[in-house]
Amino acid sequence: MSGPIINWIDKRFPLTSFVKHELTDYPTPRNLSYWWNFGFLAGIVLVLQVATGIFLAMHYKADATLAFDSIQHIMREVNYGWLLRYMHAVGASAFFFVIFVHMARTLYYGSFRAPRELLWWTGQGLLLMLMATAFMGYLLPWGQMSFWGATVITNLFKVTPFIGDDIVIWLRGDYSVGDDTLTRFFSLHYLFPFLIIGAVIVHLVALHTVKSSNPSGIDLKAKDNIPFHPYFTAKDLYGLGIFLIVYSVFVFFIPNSLIEPANNVPANPMVTPSHIVPEWYFLPFYAILRSVPNMFGGVVAMALSVMMFAFMPFLDRSRIPGGARYRPIYRLQFYLFLIDMLVLGYVGYVPPTNHNIVIVGQVATFCYFASFFVVPFVSKMEENWLIKRGLPEGIMELMEREKRDLEARKEEQGRRKGDRI
Amino acid sequence: MKKLLKIMLLGCLSMSVHAEEAKLEKIQVPKDKPSIARGAEDWINNCLTCHTMKYVKYRDLLSLGIDKAKVDGWRGEASLDTPLTAQMPDAVAMATFAKLPPDLSLMAQARDGGPNYVYSYLIGYYVKPDGSVGNHIFAETKMPDPLGISSAANAAERADKQKTARSIVTFLTWAADPHAGERDTLGKYVIVYLVVLSALLYAVKKQIWSRLK
Repeated sequence: MSGPIINWIDKRFPLTSFVKHELTDYPTPRNLSYWWNFGFLAGIVLVLQVATGIFLAMHYKADATLAFDSIQHIMREVNYGWLLRYMHAVGASAFFFVIFVHMARTLYYGSFRAPRELLWWTGQGLLLMLMATAFMGYLLPWGQMSFWGATVITNLFKVTPFIGDDIVIWLRGDYSVGDDTLTRFFSLHYLFPFLIIGAVIVHLVALHTVKSSNPSGIDLKAKDNIPFHPYFTAKDLYGLGIFLIVYSVFVFFIPNSLIEPANNVPANPMVTPSHIVPEWYFLPFYAILRSVPNMFGGVVAMALSVMMFAFMPFLDRSRIPGGARYRPIYRLQFYLFLIDMLVLGYVGYVPPTNHNIVIVGQVATFCYFASFFVVPFVSKMEENWLIKRGLPEGIMELMEREKRDLEARKEEQGRRKGDRI
Repeated sequence: MKKLLKIMLLGCLSMSVHAEEAKLEKIQVPKDKPSIARGAEDWINNCLTCHTMKYVKYRDLLSLGIDKAKVDGWRGEASLDTPLTAQMPDAVAMATFAKLPPDLSLMAQARDGGPNYVYSYLIGYYVKPDGSVGNHIFAETKMPDPLGISSAANAAERADKQKTARSIVTFLTWAADPHAGERDTLGKYVIVYLVVLSALLYAVKKQIWSRLK
C-alpha cells in the first residue's frame, strides 16, 4: 500500500504493517481443508447477531407485561421486523452449529495440542459466554418455554453450598422469575456480545501467535505456507456463500422449525408446560443434568461436561501429530463420542417418562465422561502400537526432534536449578 | 467398528418412547388470499363470539381483499384499528367456562403439530357412549363442539363441516404469521442471488488458487 494518505497514516498508526502482518503476509498452511472455514463463519454469525440484535432492541420492550406483545409488534408491524427476528433466532442456532463444527475439527485434528493450548482455552471461554448469552436471550420473547427454561436453569444454582437460595434470588432479582429477571437478562444479553467480541480478539491474537494448525499436524516449512490474503479470504468467502444459502433456507422457508410451539404462548407462572425442553444446542448437556439422580451431582456433571474439553491438551498424551488422521483408535474414539453426543441430544429431547430412556441417558452420560478419562491411557497405548507398526518417515523424525527438544529443555532447567543451589 | 456403529444406531432407532397420542390429520393449508379471506369469514362466523385475536385488526382484513362493506358490518362502531375482539364479555366467559377462551392469534403455531393439530382438534369431537361430547385430540377441552361435527347427520354434512374447519385453519395459519407469503417470495430471490454469488465466489477462489504451483 502506498500513496500520500496511507503514508500520512503510517507515520502515526501502523496500518500498512498491520495489514501486512495479519493478512497479506500472514502465513497460512496451504493444505487447510474446508473444515478450517468455520472460525471465520463464527465471526460472521457474531456480526450478524449483533447487527440484527441492535435493530431488534429498538423495537423490543423488556417488560414482563409488554415483552410478548412487542415481539408480535416486531413480527407484524415493524418493516421487515419478521426478517430481523427470524435472522436473529435462526442465527443463534447457526452460531452453535458453526461453533460445534469448529470444535469438532479442533478435536479431530488435535489442534488443541501444544503450542495451541491457550488458543483452545480462550475458545472454551468463548463457548461459555456464548451459552450464557443464548440462555439469557431465550428469556426475552417471554413465552412459556422462555419462562420455564429460565426458571429451571436459575433454580440449579440452589445447589451452591450454604448460600444456594440467596444466589437464586440474587440471579432472578425476585423469588421467582419475573419482571426483574427479564430486565436484567435483557441488559446482560446486550452486554455479553461485546465481551465476546473482546474475547474473540484475544482468541485471534493467540491464533496469530501460534498460527493455524493443519490437517497433517506437522509444522509446515515456509514454502508450504501461503499468505492469508488473497488465498484464504477467497476460500472463506466462498464458504460464506454456501453457509448463507443454508442459513437463508432456514430464515425464509422453515424459520419456525427451531422454535418450540409452546413459546408462542405467553409466559404463565400458573401453568407448567407438559414438557420443558431447552434449545437443541443445550440438549446433550441437559440430558447429562437429568441423568444424574442427585441434583447436586447433576449440576456438577453438567458443568463438568462443558468444561471437559479444556482438559484435552493434558489428556492426550500421544506424540503422533495430525490428530485422528494418523491415529485410527483416536479416530474411532472421536466418532463414538459424536454418536454419544447425538444419543444424549435425543435423550435430552424426549420426556423422561420411559424407564429405558433414563437408562440410555445414564449409560450415555457415563460414556461421555469415560471417553475423556480413557484418552490418556488409550493415546499412549496407541502411540506405542503405531510406532511398533511403523509410522511414515517424516512423522517419526518429527517426534524424535520434539523428544530431543524436550530433553534439552529439561536438562537446561536442571542446570539452572543446580546453579541456584 | 462398523458393527459397533450399527448396533448403536439400531439401539437408537428401536427405542419407542413416544407416549401414545391421538393421530393428527395432515392437511395442506392454502396460502392464496381468496382462501384466507374465506377463512376469515368462517372464523368470524364461528369463533369470534368467544375468541379474541388481539394481534389482528379489522384493517388487516381489508388487506386480504375482503369487501370494505363486509368489514364495516363486522366491526360496527369499532374503528378499523380495533383488534378482533370476542363478543362475549370476559365475566360471562368466566361464569360459563371458569376460564377465558384463549387468544387465537398464534394458535396455529402454539401447539405441536401446528395447523394439523388445530384442524384435528376442530373435527375431533364425538359423542361418547354416555351421550356427552368428547374430543379425541384434547380430552379436557372446555369448548363445546363449535362446528357441531359430533352431531353431523351424514357423510355429506360431515364433509361440509370439515371444509369449514379447514377454512378456519387457513385463516389461523395466516394470522399466526401474516408475512409468510412475502417471506416465501423474498426467500426465493435471496436463494437465487446467493447461489449465483457462491458460484462466482467459487470461480474467484479457483482462479486465485490457480496461481499456486
